[in-house]
Amino acid sequence: MPLLKIDDREIEVAAGTTVLDAALANDIEIPHYCYHPVLEIVGSCRMCMVEIEGMPKLQVSCNTRIGNALPDRKVDGMYDMVVSTKSDIVKRARENTLEFLLLNHPLDCPVCDQAGECFLQDYSFRYGRAHSRFEDEKRVRPAEDLGAGVVINQNRCIMCTRCVRFTREISGTGELFVQQRGNSTKISILEDKPLDNLLAGNVTDICPVGALLSKDYIHRNRIWNLDRQPSVCQECSVGCNVDIYHKNGKVFRTSARENLDVNGYFICDTGRYSYHDYEAVERVTSPMIRKDKKWQKISWDGAFKEIFEKLGRKKEGDSNNVAGIFSPFHTSEANFMFARLMQNVFKERAVIGTLPLPKEEEKKFPGGFRISGDCSPNWRGLTEVSSYIYEDIFNELKKQKIKLMYALDDGVNRELTQEWKDLLRNLDFLVVQTYAMTPLAERAHLLLPGAAPLEREGTLMNDSGRIQWLRPVIPLKGSSRPDWKIVMEVMNTVGKRELDYSHVNEVLAEMNERIPAYEGVTFFKLGESGMSINEEARES
Amino acid sequence: MTNNDPKFEFDKPEMVENIISHYPDKRSAVLPLLHLAQSQEGFISSAVMRTIAQLVEAAPAEIADTVSFYTMLYTEPQGKFNLQVCQTLSCSLNGADELVDHICGEYKINPGETTEDGKFTLTKVECLGACGTAPVVQINNDYHEGLSIESLDKLLDSLE
Amino acid sequence: MSDFKPILTEHIHTENSHTLEFYRSVGGYSALEKVLKTMAPDDVTNEVKASNLRGRGGAGFSAGLKWGFIPKEGDKPKYLVCNADESEPGTFKDRLLMTKVPHQMLEGIIIASYAIQAQLAFVYIRGEFYSEYLILEQMIAEAKEASLLGKNILDSGYDLDVVIHRGAGAYICGEETGLLESLEGKRGWPRIKPPFPAIEGYLKSPTIVNNVETLANVPHIINRGADWFRAIGPEKGPGPKLFCISGRVKKPGVYEEPMGISLQDLIYDRAGGITKDRKLKAVFPGGSSSPILTAEETEDLKMDFSGLASVNSMLGSAGIIVMDETVNMVKACLNVARFYAHESCGQCTPCREGTSWLVKILTRLYDGNGTRRDIEMLLEITDNMGGLADFSLGSFGKTVCPFGEAVSWPVRSFIEKFENEFVACVNIGGAVV
Ligand SMILES: Cc1cc2nc3c(=O)[nH]c(=O)nc-3n(C[C@H](O)[C@H](O)[C@H](O)COP(=O)(O)O)c2cc1C
Ligand code: SF4
Ligand code: SF4
Ligand code: SF4
Ligand code: FES
Ligand code: FES
Repeated sequence: MPLLKIDDREIEVAAGTTVLDAALANDIEIPHYCYHPVLEIVGSCRMCMVEIEGMPKLQVSCNTRIGNALPDRKVDGMYDMVVSTKSDIVKRARENTLEFLLLNHPLDCPVCDQAGECFLQDYSFRYGRAHSRFEDEKRVRPAEDLGAGVVINQNRCIMCTRCVRFTREISGTGELFVQQRGNSTKISILEDKPLDNLLAGNVTDICPVGALLSKDYIHRNRIWNLDRQPSVCQECSVGCNVDIYHKNGKVFRTSARENLDVNGYFICDTGRYSYHDYEAVERVTSPMIRKDKKWQKISWDGAFKEIFEKLGRKKEGDSNNVAGIFSPFHTSEANFMFARLMQNVFKERAVIGTLPLPKEEEKKFPGGFRISGDCSPNWRGLTEVSSYIYEDIFNELKKQKIKLMYALDDGVNRELTQEWKDLLRNLDFLVVQTYAMTPLAERAHLLLPGAAPLEREGTLMNDSGRIQWLRPVIPLKGSSRPDWKIVMEVMNTVGKRELDYSHVNEVLAEMNERIPAYEGVTFFKLGESGMSINEEARES
Repeated sequence: MTNNDPKFEFDKPEMVENIISHYPDKRSAVLPLLHLAQSQEGFISSAVMRTIAQLVEAAPAEIADTVSFYTMLYTEPQGKFNLQVCQTLSCSLNGADELVDHICGEYKINPGETTEDGKFTLTKVECLGACGTAPVVQINNDYHEGLSIESLDKLLDSLE
Repeated sequence: MSDFKPILTEHIHTENSHTLEFYRSVGGYSALEKVLKTMAPDDVTNEVKASNLRGRGGAGFSAGLKWGFIPKEGDKPKYLVCNADESEPGTFKDRLLMTKVPHQMLEGIIIASYAIQAQLAFVYIRGEFYSEYLILEQMIAEAKEASLLGKNILDSGYDLDVVIHRGAGAYICGEETGLLESLEGKRGWPRIKPPFPAIEGYLKSPTIVNNVETLANVPHIINRGADWFRAIGPEKGPGPKLFCISGRVKKPGVYEEPMGISLQDLIYDRAGGITKDRKLKAVFPGGSSSPILTAEETEDLKMDFSGLASVNSMLGSAGIIVMDETVNMVKACLNVARFYAHESCGQCTPCREGTSWLVKILTRLYDGNGTRRDIEMLLEITDNMGGLADFSLGSFGKTVCPFGEAVSWPVRSFIEKFENEFVACVNIGGAVV
């Protein structure tokens, strides 16, 4: 492997690696704008210049590859390349490039939404000149709507063309284009063909300055006021990694978080804007029981007692069986506890399955990004923690004339068919564990308030078998409790157990013992990017 | 542009096919197709871009990207005679600036504008590659070289 | 040197010199026959290498060496592109070759294509050259008819098609990678190098780009041999050369002379001297991208690659633009800068922003609103876009393509060599023409 000397460090790199990639991988900062790891290299911003020994001119590090030098060509007899990222010449080149970039830039950081995470602001602070020497009037252009909730502030654009390359290479939709040439170039759309693809929001993430902004977020808050929670999208079984920005229990923005084993650098707009779905719903935040067609709050103890009364005792009648409805929308820990409840407490009385699963067509994009047709985040995890279950349990319920049911509710998006509605109406007792007044919850006799998606904690397994830790973004509301805990308490009440896990980690530890796929999986090993069930690393 | 917008069709589809067949990759046929369309329509409308996009299997925006780059491709109708006056150094040293001033005064137009009767458009262009016979004015496809104000006047008068 | 007889332009004054019939009547396509019947592709490349034919498009790179970069292995098709974009201000020689002896260029194209084993070649001709384009189309038709193109050329088993491709108005499409993008139907934004076109060019396949004049030399090298060619003019860049003279001279035009002819001879003898017998003030020796020379610098100056390097300028496209004593240097400099601002492709930061910044300042100076500081800024901006023509480290290579230098060097040279006129603008309040 070639040996690279970069500043005063020596690094072995694979032949063909670019200087910029090598530097970034080793936490050496080289400022850059047009380079993006999955987009074609264009080398046009001229920000990433470095000095390379033996080369007559500065080189753009994004397009300079390190190879094996011939023995007599090695620098100091050993290095295949010697790079300086900090020499005076390099510093001056950066300063000059920045000066050019800022010529027509409004420098309106105080009102810019990118402020705080803008590479122009950042780099000019660190690498720029103190004063602009441009005395002429700056070019002023109006902001424009590009479609799909994205607007462009033309004055701030530095023409890195990341966004254009994104729509050509990644989404494959090609809506954005470069218009005109020279100093008149600008990013544009055709009037009748605005941005219209499920990946469009990513352009706001990859724009290195505040030129592309999501209407959803404009002026809603300043980035440095917000807290960032690394999380996992729950809108389909890909499980994209996201950062969720929030403050005081309110979410302001979701952006993609890099994970090369899952989503790469991007997320889809369904995931990006999904947090709004949870804002609109009517929440269920305390246990409630239906009395005379009306909901009444009751205490948790009262609720558990009710379950014991209605489900726990064997009754005479057509069917004594209890339907247990799992949910691929819940964490593996919640489903695992539910499986134990069903298998170990209700035992042979338990008939287990799911509601009909919401399915759509899988979407694949030219850049490799995929949106799964399975709209739940944890179907794989569910199948690992529970042995055979009925996918859409409807027929079984009908056949066995089941009258009792305990369901982990999927969420707000489900519409029930008439058949299902009729079936639910005929139940003797329906317990729904939910965070919202869903169509299923509306038909319940007893409601147990669980966590909303952004409040949940535990593991999810995506459809390629990667286990990821879902971190709660906002706190539980009212007297709702974590779902695994509710199920645990039902076990304790109905099954006379004395389980007292105080944290979801303890449930996971139990799963380590009992569920082969979860052997050795811990919170710490999962980290922020998760691990695959096939990974050998886990064994050690 | 909406769906009931005019569609554009090439007059000579066999020429379109012939052009595309010259290239190992359809996309390469974009410039010749644009030239062909412009010679038919006088300018490149959005309908033209859509038609060509379809022919070469590109996004319409990619065609618009290309069109906007080149000075010879117009997205608006031009005058019947497009007076393209070279203003680069050799022509400028030989009287091109005076030619521009003269046309502006004579026809009451500024560079980039078209006379009211739609006859002349005045365009300032860069070096036409004929500096040895400066000053040069290209009118539509034809070069007119070594012009003086007098010979330009005569020339313009003769255009119908 | 006075006994030099034009080689490339020998027949341009004969009527119908552009026809195949005429070209054949003066021995045309005999080089092609020789190549196809007696030479292996590598033999051709080696002969051209030995001739030391250097590119006539501007950069002066050895044609034979470049052909040798085409990978021998691999099953990607190979392409040859003849660069007929001719847009460098002051340059109009390729136009002459194409209108008067197009078959000479075509013969060169076929031979070069054979050398690199291309089956498809293009002539990328600037869009404005419409009548020239029609001549080339006629040339192709004639050649096909005569089995000089198409399948099994002259019964040799070698196949080649040549496509004439029109540009559409963009100087930067003369830069070879901008040209290739344009040929692919895109905007002519030059590509970042490496990879170079010989490895990844048109459609990511190995491609050679050569200037019209470069290729027009090839049949003569094949016919008369590398030694003959090397004996014309200086060793380090020999051959016949077309010089374009324009601006303030009595007889502007294209003159074919051996490399190394003196600039004074070209201006005062061939071009008949300065208009109205005025005094010479400054000259662009190689198109508007070359640093200008003062009258003193033109004395005893040999017009070849090393001669011009010795005065920190370059032969470029050999477009000589003559400015006499009445030409205001601020105005000329503004004219040139405006050309580049208009033609900057806009892709890379220094050039996109720098060119129009230069124009703003020069306009201000010219209008009498400039300051001394503006003059310093011009130097700094050109330094930051293209650097100094001295090739010192960190100086050049600041842009994706050499356009950054192409604008900086001449603009700098105006200021450095005629600073007094810029200062006068500040002092007097505008340029006095
Ligand atoms: C800004 C710029 C413009 C150029 N314009 C032309 C041109 O109009 N014609 C040309 O033959 N070469 C032009 N070149 C040079 C080409 O890039 C390329 O080097 C040349 O076509 C190679 O051919 P040659 O080796 O035969 O000279 C230009 C280069 C630059 C940087
Ligand atoms: S809008 Fe942003 S991403 Fe797009 S070119 Fe401009 S700066 Fe780059
Ligand atoms: S692809 Fe799936 S997981 Fe990724 S952001 Fe979209 S909905 Fe969420
Ligand atoms: S130097 Fe100028 S012309 Fe060349 S790529 Fe950069 S912007 Fe385009
Ligand atoms: S990041 Fe290398 S030139 Fe833009
Ligand atoms: S300067 Fe006008 S044709 Fe070249």
